[in-house]
Amino acid sequence: MAAIAHPDRNFKYWLISPAVFLLLLVGLFPLIFSLVVSFMRVSMLETDTSFAGLVNYVQLFHDARLWQSLLHTVLIMVIALPIELLLGLAMAYLFLDRLPGRQLLVSLLVLPTIISPIVAGATWRLLFDNRYGPINQIIGWFAGHPVPALWTVNPGLVYPAIIFCEIWQWTPFMFLILLAALSNVDRSLTEAAEIDGARFWRSFRYVVLPAIFPVMSIAILIRGLDLFRIFDIIWALTAGGPGTMTETISVYTYIQGFKQFESSYTAAIAFLVIALLTVIVTWAIRRMGLAK
Amino acid sequence: MINRRDFGKISLVASLATTMGRPAWAASAADTAVKAAQQYKGRTITIVWEAGLQSLDPTHFSGPKWKELTGMDVKVVEVATAEMFTKIMQDYKSGAGAYDALNVIPAWMPDLAQAGALEVLDPYVEKYGYAPELQTIAPTYRDNQMKVGGKIYGFPDDGDVFLMYYRRDLFEDPAVQKAFKEKTGKDLAVPKTWADFDVVGAGLTDILKDKGIYGASFFRQPPYAMYMFEERFRNEGGKFFDADTMKAAINSDVGVKVFTAMRNENNFMPPGVEQFGFVENLATFLQGQSAMTISWPPYGRWAEGYGTDQEALNWVPKTTIAGKVGYALPPGGHPELAAGFALSISSTSKNKDAAYLFIQWLNSEDVSRQRVQLPYTLRDPFRDAHYADPGYLALWPNAKDYLAALKQASQTGLLDLSLLQTDKYEEVLRQAISKLWAGDDPKTILDAAAAQWNDITQKIGVDKQKMVYAAWAAESGAYPKI
Repeated sequence: MAAIAHPDRNFKYWLISPAVFLLLLVGLFPLIFSLVVSFMRVSMLETDTSFAGLVNYVQLFHDARLWQSLLHTVLIMVIALPIELLLGLAMAYLFLDRLPGRQLLVSLLVLPTIISPIVAGATWRLLFDNRYGPINQIIGWFAGHPVPALWTVNPGLVYPAIIFCEIWQWTPFMFLILLAALSNVDRSLTEAAEIDGARFWRSFRYVVLPAIFPVMSIAILIRGLDLFRIFDIIWALTAGGPGTMTETISVYTYIQGFKQFESSYTAAIAFLVIALLTVIVTWAIRRMGLAK
Repeated sequence: MINRRDFGKISLVASLATTMGRPAWAASAADTAVKAAQQYKGRTITIVWEAGLQSLDPTHFSGPKWKELTGMDVKVVEVATAEMFTKIMQDYKSGAGAYDALNVIPAWMPDLAQAGALEVLDPYVEKYGYAPELQTIAPTYRDNQMKVGGKIYGFPDDGDVFLMYYRRDLFEDPAVQKAFKEKTGKDLAVPKTWADFDVVGAGLTDILKDKGIYGASFFRQPPYAMYMFEERFRNEGGKFFDADTMKAAINSDVGVKVFTAMRNENNFMPPGVEQFGFVENLATFLQGQSAMTISWPPYGRWAEGYGTDQEALNWVPKTTIAGKVGYALPPGGHPELAAGFALSISSTSKNKDAAYLFIQWLNSEDVSRQRVQLPYTLRDPFRDAHYADPGYLALWPNAKDYLAALKQASQTGLLDLSLLQTDKYEEVLRQAISKLWAGDDPKTILDAAAAQWNDITQKIGVDKQKMVYAAWAAESGAYPKI
C-alpha cells in the first residue's frame, strides 16, 4: 500500500497567494504610479509629461499656501480632538449607568455620525445662514436684538463654526468607543478603590484610565487621522475661505489636483502627507504603547 | 421676357426671403442637419450637458425630437458645471472617446483647443452649409464665443449675460421720487454709472428700509462676484494685464476703487449680503426686498412668474413683483457675458459627423428659437431672431422690454477673461473677493492677487500667454470702447 503523501507545507500559501497578489496589485499600483507621477511634469493642461526629478518636491518647500494649509489642519486637530475626547468621555460616564430611556438616547446621540460629512456641512451652512438660519435667530433672542453674524465669512467666527460642526458630528463616535471601553472596566476594582477612600479623580486616574487607555488611544488615533484629512465639512461650509483662511491640507490638495489640474504636484503633496503621517503615527503608536 | 406681373412675383419672393433671413428655396440649417443625419439612424450620440435644469432640454425636448426626426438616440451625460472641464479633459486625455458632443463654457476654449480636445468645426460648417445661419447669432456671442485662433471650435448656444432688474413701481412712485429728491437733490432714475448706483442704492435704502426694502442686493459669493468684478473693472477703465509685459494690472487704482466700492455698497444692501448666492439673491428680489439687482436672464423671466408653475421650477420663490419689473443694462452699459455655453464636438468622438449634425440642428435658428422659450432649461436668447420672435414677445406683458434689454446686451456685452489656464487666474480672484468680504484691505488683497497672477503667467510662459491674451484683448467684447 502506498504511503499517504505528506501534505505540502506550503500549500496554504499557494491557496492565498492569488488573493494576496490581487490585493497588492490593487493597493500598491496606484501608490507606485502616483510616486512615479510625482517625479514627472504631468498636468492635465500641458502636453509636456517629461521627467522632472525633484522639482515638485522642491516646490513644496517654497509653497507658503501649502504650509499654511498644514497649519490650519493642525489647528483644527489640536482644538477639536481634545474637546471630542473630553466630551465623549463625559457622555460615556453619564450613560454608563442604566438611565431611563438609555438605549433610545444613545441611538439619537449616534445619529450625527451616520450622516455623510458633506451633508452635515451643508446642513450646518444652512443653520449658520445669516438670513434663514436659526442660530443667529436663537442668539438674537438671548441678545435681545438681531444678530447678523456671518459665520462662514467673518474671520473671527469661521473656525468656531467649523470646529463646532466637527465636534457635533464626531463626538458621538468617541462616546460610543469610550462607552464600550468603560463598560468593560472591572467594577470590583473601582468599588475597591472607593472602599479604600479614593475619590473620583484618583479612581479614574489610577484604575479606570489604565484600563481604558488602549481603546482610548485607538480612538484618538482614528479621530486624529480623520481630522488630519478633514475635507467635506470645510468644503461645504467655507470652501477654504474666507480667502484661504480655512484651507486644510486635503482642501488644498483637492484644489491643486482637481481644480488646477497639477497632477504631479498633487502627487508630491500626497507623498509629503504620507511621510508626515507615517512619522506622526509611528511616534504616536510607540508613545501610546500600542505596538506592544 | 419678364413682364410687370413676373417682376411683382420676383419682388414678393425676394422680400419674403429677406424677411425670413434666408432664401425661400434654400433648406434651413435644421432641415439640412435632419436630412443628412437620417443616414445614421440607429446610432447613439453622447452629449455632455450641465446637470440640473439645463439638461431638461436634451432629455425632455431636443433629444426625443431628434430621435423622432432621425432615428438617432441621444444619451445625455449630466455633469455639474464645476466638473465639466475636468470630465471633458479626462475623457480626451484617456482617449476613451466616451463623449461625442460637448457643452463648453467659452472661457475654457483656449485650453481645450490647445490641448486638442475639441474638433475644428470649419469643415463641417462648410460641408453642411451652416455659415449663413451662424451669422445671425447676436454679435457679441458670435464674435467672441466661437473661435480660437481664427478656427471655429463651438457654436454659441446660450445668451448668458448680466442684466439689471429694478422695481419699476418704486422708481415711478411719486412719493419715492419726492423723498429721493429731497434726500439727494437728484431726480430718481435707473443708474447708468456706478457712481449713480451708489447714490440711488443708498438713497432708496434710507427711504424704503422701514418697509423692508433695500436699495439693491447682489449675489456676493465669490464665484458670482468674480464676474461682477471683471465687468465693473473694465467698465471703469481697468485692464487685466499690461499688454507689453503681461504684468497683472488688477491692482491698479481702478481695481482698488472697484474693490473698495463693492465692499462699501454692502452697507446699503440687506444684512448678510456677503453670503448671498444665486438663490438667496433671487429670493430677496422676488420677495420684493430689494429695488435693484443684477443677474442672468432667468431672473427677469421668473420675476414675472413666467414658467415658475412648472414642476422643475418649484424651488423658485413665488414672485411678489410680477408686472412691476423693469430691465436695463447694468451701470457702465457693458454687461459681462458671464459663462454661457457653446456646443462643440469632442476630437476623440467616434461619431463626429452625426454629433456635428445634432449640434447644428440644436443651434439652428428654427430649433434654438424653441429651446430658448422652454421655461425650465435656462437657455437664454442669443440670436437676432430670438429678440424679435412674436411668440417670445407674447410670453408676458413686458417681455418686449426684457428682450430689448437682452438685445442691447448682446451688442455691448463683455467677454469673460479667457486665457490659458483661466481657472487659475479666476481662483485667485475668487479668493481675493472672499478676503474682501472678510474685511482685508482692498489694496493689499489686490497686490497679493496680482503677484499670484504674475506667478501663474511665469509658470505658463510669459510669451505663450502674451499671445493668447493679445488675441483675447483684440476680440470686440474684451474691453469696452470708452
